[in-house]
Amino acid sequence: MRKLTTALLAGLVVTAGASAALAADKTEISVARFFGACEADYGSVTDVTKANGECGIITALINKFNAESTTTTVKPEIVEWPGYDQLTARIRSGEPPVISVMHEAVISDYSSRGLLEPLDEDFAKAGIDVNDMTDASRQGVTKDGKIYAMPFDTHTWLWHINMNLFKEAGLVDEAGKPILPKNTDELFAQAEQFKEKTGKPYFISTLANETAFYTRTFDTLLYQQNVDFFADPNKVNFSSPEAKGALQLLADIFTKDLTTKNQDYAASVSSFAAGEGGVFICGTWLIDTYDQESKKDGPLANGYAVTAFPQIYPGSPRVWADGHSWVLLKQDLSDAQRASAIEFMKFLWDNNYEWARTGHLPVRKSIIDSAEFKGLPHRDDIASLAVNGTALPSAVKRQFSIQEIEGEEVGSAMRGDKSVDEALTDAETRINELLANAK
Amino acid sequence: MTDATLSPGKAVAAVKRPTGASIGPRWTNALFIAPYMVFYLALLVYPLFKGIWMSMLESDMFDDTSKFTGLANYYRLFNDKIFIGTIWNTVLFVLMTVPVFVAIGLLLALALNRSDRTSASLRAIFFGTSVLSVTIVTIIWKMMYMPGNGAIASIMKLFGLEPIAFITSSSLALPAIAITTIWWIIGLPMMLFLAALQQIPGELYEAAALDNASRWRSFWSITLPSIRRTMLVVVIYEIVAQFQLFGQAQLLTQGGPNNASRPIVQFIYEQGFRSWNLGYAAAASEILFLIMAVAALAQFFASRKRVEE
Repeated sequence: MRKLTTALLAGLVVTAGASAALAADKTEISVARFFGACEADYGSVTDVTKANGECGIITALINKFNAESTTTTVKPEIVEWPGYDQLTARIRSGEPPVISVMHEAVISDYSSRGLLEPLDEDFAKAGIDVNDMTDASRQGVTKDGKIYAMPFDTHTWLWHINMNLFKEAGLVDEAGKPILPKNTDELFAQAEQFKEKTGKPYFISTLANETAFYTRTFDTLLYQQNVDFFADPNKVNFSSPEAKGALQLLADIFTKDLTTKNQDYAASVSSFAAGEGGVFICGTWLIDTYDQESKKDGPLANGYAVTAFPQIYPGSPRVWADGHSWVLLKQDLSDAQRASAIEFMKFLWDNNYEWARTGHLPVRKSIIDSAEFKGLPHRDDIASLAVNGTALPSAVKRQFSIQEIEGEEVGSAMRGDKSVDEALTDAETRINELLANAK
Repeated sequence: MTDATLSPGKAVAAVKRPTGASIGPRWTNALFIAPYMVFYLALLVYPLFKGIWMSMLESDMFDDTSKFTGLANYYRLFNDKIFIGTIWNTVLFVLMTVPVFVAIGLLLALALNRSDRTSASLRAIFFGTSVLSVTIVTIIWKMMYMPGNGAIASIMKLFGLEPIAFITSSSLALPAIAITTIWWIIGLPMMLFLAALQQIPGELYEAAALDNASRWRSFWSITLPSIRRTMLVVVIYEIVAQFQLFGQAQLLTQGGPNNASRPIVQFIYEQGFRSWNLGYAAAASEILFLIMAVAALAQFFASRKRVEE
């Protein structure tokens, strides 16, 4: 008995030692990402099909990669969205992460300064077929003829709808579809009707502490009127009557109390789930979250719909869009680290369908055309976004700073702190000043 | 034997006495302050002049092709509506907070200048907030200010009142940040005043009591003159500290709405780290340095004059 115990203990020690040695042999790479932290729920989940939402799926994907890879360990570094200030500081101090998530709109600022590694050759060696990339995603990661990132998704701006409240407001047609406005008059009429019948605002909007809502909605309204506000990539033009009309529309929505007014992102996301308004204008990434919510008891129970941004101007169905991607930061990497980084990118490429379950559009044509993707909830309702999603021209520098300034000024006018004319002039002046001094 | 004739206006040379000892400057003594001087020069003087130099460059964070542009960055700053707005916001914030730090800090110190257990506990509680990080403080106050289900909104709803949108209103955003800041670091001025109050000899108050002086008279004629130097320290320290407002504004309001709560340091941060425009950010830093120096010196000279009178 004693001998048996000794043998078992020795076996355990040898096994533990071998595991430790194996772990020590793996190459560790740091991966900076946003999408939130949810270790409590998904910290040990390696079955990605059991994860939901952006945070859950990316956490499970990394767990799965770490469990399966025999050569690489990914060390996630979670940053607050959008994380570029931190990334900039880390690059400047010579300690960047190996891989970082990056919006496609931002890539050119970093790639033009030689801060990112071109990836064409690595992708070819790893067997990543760049011809399978959708046009939007390939354009998004290609700068000066080279691919600088692994595209991960295309995301756009759309309407999340509480069908239970829409029914109460009499805004559902015979086919069970939401009745949506086709012009600005209908928008106000339906929003007033909704408010009168439900006692709640038509819109839930993220108007506090971030500028994304203002910029993305305003850009979409300009695209719908075929306004080319960056005809010259070095100069923005907001002096058109269409821009004035779009901003006045947002200001009117605010002054007529047709929207929630003081919610930040977290508050507005939970406010929609709590049934405090009819329409939440936000992005593709919440589709899966709200779809799951609609399967539970609560204000969204069996009553969630999603639709592309309704065309309320007669010009075009185009809508604001961007994409998440993964970049390899230029630094003194060993061959093993670089190989590990590409191995992780290949894993993300192979698992792009799982990420598309969030609601984002996949970056692979083969997945978009697959029955599996088409079978996901609500994908028919937003199929048009793959064609109509519109990013700023890639020649426009400092796109994130521009969007911040634009959002601040649009927000000032919408909230009534400034006149529409003054806000448009200030936005134009500030952005053009930024571009005039941008290298 | 060496000797030297000293005359006014001439540099003092080392004089060797017959015993071998010398009078006058011995440069080896400078070694005593050398460690301090090295750090002072490397970490304060050098960055100061480097900053001044950078403010005259058109310089990008990641581009090594900086170009000398003279005072162009300063000219651009004074034509920048956002920057002018940040100066006004910052000055307003200093005016909102520094007098309150002095008044409430002194009141708390007077109230808690006792040796009983309750006072000791309250002193620890009031000072306790100062050890929190700015992130924790802003999370706490966000939960207080949230108009939907924040603590203040809930209390107002209990009384049937409409919740106030503190951080999304352009007129209330800066006062909201000021309240947060006062709550956060009121402990330090309180402690400084407490230390000063405990240095005042008890005999002075006994003599005043014998002369039948009122409490107000004792405070005005004994306490205030005795802590005047501490008050000067508190005022100058708080002026310098509050001009550097950043974290609370960045995390609570992001400078909005409509630039109503954006301080100078946030502007510098945004220009440097978001727009990568280091020369422009450096020029704004120099302006902030000048404003802080002028404000602190003005307070210093004004207080010294009063002390001399």
